[in-house]
Amino acid sequence: MRLSFSAEVEAFRREFLDWLAANRPDPAEMAADPARSSAHLPGWSRRWARRLFDAGWLVPGWPPELGGRNAGPTEQLVYLEAMARAGVPRTTNPQGLGIIAPSILDYGSPDQVRDYALPILRGERAGCLGMSEPGAGSDLAALATRAEPRGDRFVISGQKVWTSGANWADFCFLFCRTDPDAPKHRGISVVLVEMDRPGVVVKPLPEIVGRDHPDLNEVFFSEVEVPASQLVGKLNDGWAMANGSLAHERGMVWLEGVLHLQNAATRLIAEARRRLPAVGEVERGVHAERIVRAWGDAQAARCLGYRGFAKLVRGGSAPEQALMKLMSSEARQRLTLVATELAGASTLDATPQLGPFSEWSPLEQYFVTFGGTISAGSSEIQRNIIAEKVLGLPRG
Amino acid sequence: MELELTEEQRELRDGVRRVLEAQCPPALARAVHERGETGAALWRQMGALAWPGIAIDEGLGGLGLGAVELCLVAEELGRAVAPGPFLATATQLAPLLQEAGASPLAQPLLRRIAEGALTGSVALAEDERWEPARVACRARRAGQGFVLRGRKSGVFDGATAEEIAVVARADEGLGVFLVPGGAAKATPRTLLDPTLALADLVFEDVAVPAERVVLAPGAAAERAAVRALEVATVALALATVGTCRRIFETTLDYVKLRRQYGRPIGSFQALKHRLADMVLAVERATALGYFAAATLAEDDPRRAEAAALAKAEAGDCQRLVVAEGLQLHGGLGFTWEHDLHLFLKRAKCGDALLGSAVEQRARLAHRLGLGAA
Repeated sequence: MRLSFSAEVEAFRREFLDWLAANRPDPAEMAADPARSSAHLPGWSRRWARRLFDAGWLVPGWPPELGGRNAGPTEQLVYLEAMARAGVPRTTNPQGLGIIAPSILDYGSPDQVRDYALPILRGERAGCLGMSEPGAGSDLAALATRAEPRGDRFVISGQKVWTSGANWADFCFLFCRTDPDAPKHRGISVVLVEMDRPGVVVKPLPEIVGRDHPDLNEVFFSEVEVPASQLVGKLNDGWAMANGSLAHERGMVWLEGVLHLQNAATRLIAEARRRLPAVGEVERGVHAERIVRAWGDAQAARCLGYRGFAKLVRGGSAPEQALMKLMSSEARQRLTLVATELAGASTLDATPQLGPFSEWSPLEQYFVTFGGTISAGSSEIQRNIIAEKVLGLPRG
Repeated sequence: MELELTEEQRELRDGVRRVLEAQCPPALARAVHERGETGAALWRQMGALAWPGIAIDEGLGGLGLGAVELCLVAEELGRAVAPGPFLATATQLAPLLQEAGASPLAQPLLRRIAEGALTGSVALAEDERWEPARVACRARRAGQGFVLRGRKSGVFDGATAEEIAVVARADEGLGVFLVPGGAAKATPRTLLDPTLALADLVFEDVAVPAERVVLAPGAAAERAAVRALEVATVALALATVGTCRRIFETTLDYVKLRRQYGRPIGSFQALKHRLADMVLAVERATALGYFAAATLAEDDPRRAEAAALAKAEAGDCQRLVVAEGLQLHGGLGFTWEHDLHLFLKRAKCGDALLGSAVEQRARLAHRLGLGAA
């Protein structure tokens, strides 16, 4: 148990920070052309991905030919820490870098690695992840989008929903049903579908805030034909990939959640120091209790995450990993709620002010956090997973 | 930051747990509750295993380990609801004596603690507030020594400890003065959890000769009292987390076993979600407790803040785990015969003593600049 990492790991951090200082994307350029969705690659984002890839700083744990430098897991952790603290986005296509590319590298053919995984890593192409459907949200295995094998091709019909970035993506990593007669988990496959294929229609779904820049979409497939070579992995073996995908997602996301929370807590406290002197003693106490709690949540998330990480690095199991998504998404929600209440009636103004999270007003920031407690396995599903997989409680 | 136990720490923890499973089953705590058993044999065993001196220098006969290991032992003792003088002696008096450095008074005492040959405590709280800044008990100079006058409350083992370090206020500030047990008028408290012993002490002009002054009055002594209290606070926080983890595990076992409507009640989602929240509460309190212990071990500047947060989290953890543990055990947990209440009562003690979650949060609010201007 110790508060710092080894000297080698700290040297690694310094090496990255030096490189980052010299190579980070130009903030003015980023501000002038912000990413408009989770699959939008503005010019600066493409060039940034390429620099990271070429320098071996895209995924340090991978080998150089995949944009890495064969670094160990602890080095990966300090790399992600350093990047987030510097306020530099690692990618503007997080599903591509975090889920789709690793899944193709694990399961895909050499051609798919060449045509999809590497272009994602080099910032040349963006992917979206076709999972949820109107009838398959938490119960993902109930998905009904059909990919019928017909000779040397698949014919795809059905509908996806909540597909992040589909309006900007070049292709979709699509979960679909290839055997309607098999038990529901065993008839699912993954097919790569170019978004410009005839029969693919994307309809953006403006969100509760930020109506002008939708990231979520409905995606309709009607008789979309793709070559059989677009199948990723084995036929009807897609469920393993769905679990793997989410594992990739959760493996990467906890640290980001923690750092986000910590930044937000720091800003909340700064705002509270500004506002609280003007209020009466008892009222100040009520706010202070909530704020200290929100700040404590951020510290708890950090300690929980690092503890789970240390266990994994030692090759043990870590219940903390299963807790992190639930914990940090709900903590973020509580924190933004406290911020809205601290802001009083001015939280109703649509103009941005107190900003734990971004350019939105406090109330909008609060609403946005529901994206975290609903998507990628809702809080209710997370509690089921914890109860069944971690605690071993019987399925109902 | 590596918040996982090292191999050695894990072995220590497992070893302590094995001993306590054999020597300190719930039946021992029950015997304390029902028959006034004191756990003296357990304390002798701890002494033989060198637990009281776990964080005392090897040169003084201790094991020479640090705050993390001390807190791990406390966590296991909490898990076992162990009675006895460990908390008062090893997590309160010893850290305060260690703050005195190479003192000719402190060193022999630490040596005796390490041998398991001495029990002790710290008399700090007044009116149930464990806050050095609020200490009003007076230390008046008398010749080379001092005379103590005032009241202390909630002193761990206050009626039985052999040596008590009293934090009292002199003209120059707080000082720490050693008095033998019995020097003050002690009123033992009758606690709902008699596995812990508290007493209120009244000092009516108790003379302390110069050679029994642990820390001479002044800013350094005040700082030492604060730092030693941080160690005691984190140890109690982790002891409480240990008790909570036991309640959680007992509850988890019970909902897997208990059947209604033809199936284990743990298969109902309404209960599953509550158990998920319980494990989260236990794990986050553990992680913050270990972080705080690490700040003590490395003397990190965040130690005061981390100690307060660890105690606050332990308090919140027991708040949830005690309520859910009792509720989910149904009528069974409501009986005297079932062991659950032994743990529930200890968990409540863990919050109320050395500054509750409410007090720690108020302290944190001040530290974070949210208090009155």
